[in-house]
Amino acid sequence: MMMNPQQIPSKILISNLKKSFGSKHVLRGLNLEVSKGESVVIIGGSGTGKSVLLKCILGLIKPDSGSIKIDGQELRGSSRKLIAQAMTKISMLFQSSALFDSLPVWENVAFLLLQRRQYKRQQAKEMAIQQLAAVGLNERVADLFPSEISGGMQRRVALARAVIHKPEIIFFDEPTAGLDPIFSSVINSLIVKCVKELGATAITITHDMVSARHVGDRIAMLHEGKIIWDGPAKGIEHSKNPYVDQFINGQSDGPIKIEV
Amino acid sequence: MLTLIAKIGRLFLNFLATTGKLGVFTGMAIIEGLRPPYYPRQIARQLIDIGYYSLPVVGMTALFTGMVLALQSYTGFSRFSAESSIPNVVVLSITRELGPVLAGLMVAGRMGAAMAAEIGTMRVTEQIDALMTLSTNPFKYLIAPRMIAGLTMLPFLVLIADIIGVFGGYLVSTYKLGFNPINYLHQTWDFLEVIDVVSGLVKASAFGLCISTLGCYHGYYSRGGAQGVGTATTNAVVSASMLILILNYTLTAIFFS
Repeated sequence: MMMNPQQIPSKILISNLKKSFGSKHVLRGLNLEVSKGESVVIIGGSGTGKSVLLKCILGLIKPDSGSIKIDGQELRGSSRKLIAQAMTKISMLFQSSALFDSLPVWENVAFLLLQRRQYKRQQAKEMAIQQLAAVGLNERVADLFPSEISGGMQRRVALARAVIHKPEIIFFDEPTAGLDPIFSSVINSLIVKCVKELGATAITITHDMVSARHVGDRIAMLHEGKIIWDGPAKGIEHSKNPYVDQFINGQSDGPIKIEV
Repeated sequence: MLTLIAKIGRLFLNFLATTGKLGVFTGMAIIEGLRPPYYPRQIARQLIDIGYYSLPVVGMTALFTGMVLALQSYTGFSRFSAESSIPNVVVLSITRELGPVLAGLMVAGRMGAAMAAEIGTMRVTEQIDALMTLSTNPFKYLIAPRMIAGLTMLPFLVLIADIIGVFGGYLVSTYKLGFNPINYLHQTWDFLEVIDVVSGLVKASAFGLCISTLGCYHGYYSRGGAQGVGTATTNAVVSASMLILILNYTLTAIFFS
């Protein structure tokens, strides 16, 4: 795809990443490369380490070994300042939305703008209202508290919060979890729209195959702590990989064993 | 027998590990809290929450404590006609011990629990992770403001409690026990020394810091949903209350020996 892959470093490059919790080995030497502007979906069963992977990149969990590079810059073992700088490029949409329930909706959306103190409160509020409009929420929502709006609206607010500062990289952790199919589709479209408008690089983790096909350029399957299949989203039906076939068709028989 | 020893050993190791973790946590909070950026809005919110909204509870506690002190001392002291020392007993007990300890315990129940529950819920609903992804350090944003509020607002509350407590004793003594109001106040004032009030306020600061730290610590490390938050809240209140009583004895021993 790229003219000079040697000169342009991948946006995100993860190699041989390992993480264990006690005797439970969650990531067992994971490799993943994402180029700039690409949208990669990671699929995999519950408990295969999808969330752990994202949290490792974000620095919320410390990996045991391996390397994580953003724009060619190694994050593991770097100084706090460098990591903090790299983190300003990344934002995340949490599975539970994770809105701050002590703040009204607009302050949630404008949180980063207010923290950076670039704008006055009134200005930041106007920007938040614009961003809310971009995800299809009207002005009246801005002064409500997160507990006063529905789960689907919360997810949209969280999306607005994640994109307001125009991040270069966005992570989506199960963006459609707990939403009905129609709302899921709305959120998927919004994600595609936001990512395309920003030209951002996106990693989405999900086990919702409709969402995966809608959002992703590329799909990677995580199983037992490693990426076992990686290919374009369009060709996933013809992967010829028994694990992928079992997963996307939702069969209980196959190479993936569910521990009971 | 062996299992018993193993259990005791494990308990002891757990205790050491927790103490260490708590020490690191407190150190982190202090270091991060002293470095900018600061969050004046968060600090103001906590100051109001602890200082202003605790006033009714602390005030009521102090009032009735002062009243019962006067009443109870009277029934005791009248047996050997020492009724005249009631003002002294009331003012010393309130400023030195009961003011700080009761205000501390009340605030531990009110604010320690609220802090553990709020921060704990933020932890289990990924709000703390979200804070970090929004380039905000939770120690600066959540924990330092609470510690500042605890440290500064408890002495303020105790000062108010001292005044209301003495007033409670005055009410009962003058209206019920027939003391002369002017004599009562004179005797209270003459007998009181600066160290009595100051020691109480120093204690209050220590208690406030300990309530905030334990509330935040238990909330910050809570795990596993609603039950985890419940456990964190209980632990925060129980540990803060215990520590207040232990610290109180230690500080009294330091001040008055």
